[in-house]
Amino acid sequence: MLASFDAHLFWTALSSGPYWRGALTALELTVVSLATAVVIGFFVALAALSNRRRNRSLAWVYNWLFRATPTLLQLYFVWYALPQLWGVFAGHWFTPFAAAWLALSLNEAAYMSEIIRAGLLSVEPGQELAGRALGMTRRQILRKVIVPQAVRIVIPPTGNEFITLLKLTSLAFVISLHELLTAAQELAAATFQYPEPLLASLVYYLVIVSILMMIQARLERRFTWTSRRRRRRFGPPVPAISHDAR
Amino acid sequence: MADVVLRADGVQKHYGELEVLKGVTFEVDRGQVKVIIGPSGSGKSTLLRCLAMLEAPDAGDVYLETERLTALSEKQLAPHRSEVGMVFQRFNLFQNMTALANVMCGLLEVRRLSKREARERALEFLARVGVADKASQYPDELSGGQQQRVAIARALVMRPKAMLFDEPTSALDVELVREVLDVMELLAREGMTMVVVTHELRFAQHVASAVLMMDEGRIVEEARPDEFFSAPKEERTRRFLALVE
Repeated sequence: MLASFDAHLFWTALSSGPYWRGALTALELTVVSLATAVVIGFFVALAALSNRRRNRSLAWVYNWLFRATPTLLQLYFVWYALPQLWGVFAGHWFTPFAAAWLALSLNEAAYMSEIIRAGLLSVEPGQELAGRALGMTRRQILRKVIVPQAVRIVIPPTGNEFITLLKLTSLAFVISLHELLTAAQELAAATFQYPEPLLASLVYYLVIVSILMMIQARLERRFTWTSRRRRRRFGPPVPAISHDAR
Repeated sequence: MADVVLRADGVQKHYGELEVLKGVTFEVDRGQVKVIIGPSGSGKSTLLRCLAMLEAPDAGDVYLETERLTALSEKQLAPHRSEVGMVFQRFNLFQNMTALANVMCGLLEVRRLSKREARERALEFLARVGVADKASQYPDELSGGQQQRVAIARALVMRPKAMLFDEPTSALDVELVREVLDVMELLAREGMTMVVVTHELRFAQHVASAVLMMDEGRIVEEARPDEFFSAPKEERTRRFLALVE
């Protein structure tokens, strides 16, 4: 066994309140940010595919702005600069969690919009044509025909985004959000031991991502259109591995 | 006075520099079956899409009965499109819906029928084209011929005033062509107004009220099928028929 590994400390850390709450905060932040990003990203994607030049330019500027600047900088900006620029953000309601939610949603929406755009483009043009020939409006075609088909394409890369985002929540450490890394740091500072606290937080990330991968595999089956729910052509789910260094 | 269902009047269409339709005038009366033949790139499909108002002509007008469709905005057009059924070469069934849901879709979304009523009607039409047993299958699981028959049912269930077919058998394996042509022939006998772009000359001979030859964005010749095939007037038609037969 390793010279100085304290199994007891490791188990204590794993089951301690700060870790639980930290993991829960990280998970909550990831889920709400991703959900918000999907909604914003959907509209940005529609703008990017619009016939109007103005909409396309707006989408372009949005994606450019949020992808070209570091996430950490955006987080800092939202937490420190925004309240000074705009009074509403100086209120008590603007907690570290709210700030992180805002920053990560806006940031993630830029990436999601590209994923959603790819999904929408992957739907054969004949599908829209058939909908128009039936007399359906663009909205109806989008809702009933195009979006359900795009979802299948969008799921695997969105799994990646979930993981990236989960890891990005550790950045919110810098705006004093109590997430997993904070728990590990505090424990390490108190015990002068690093392996156990850090390994304990690592376990939480692994568990969350494993659960996500199972959910993703189920979703992919759900959006495969055969009556027998066969899995032809699609193979196993895309491994949700992310090496994104945002 | 002839009872015109669909009429194109001097329709022009171009994509960039390419002139696809150079002022086409065309009409189809109630109960008529008009077959359009011609080489690829002659503008047949574009004419059909203009008649279905899936493409707006650059000049000229399209009428559905007495309504001038070219005068309507995109929003006003949507409900009118459901009055004209369109069948595509590649079927274009909604991939995320079963055969039944495909046929129900227009009834639910456009006609606003109740689910129960839509289901009943859809099943009835699936039976008419002989694929009632495939109702719960997804397009992916059907043969091309079955998919095309579902597509015909999907258009037909809207009770259109006319049906347009854009090379409905071109994407099918040879042994599946017959089942689709049979359905179309049945429709013609029941008095459906039809415009069919096809290379199936025997279908044209047997079923058409008139055959039209298109070339380079114009209608070159229009005649009753017996005249058209036995004594084509135009040199262009003769050359094309010699190639196809």
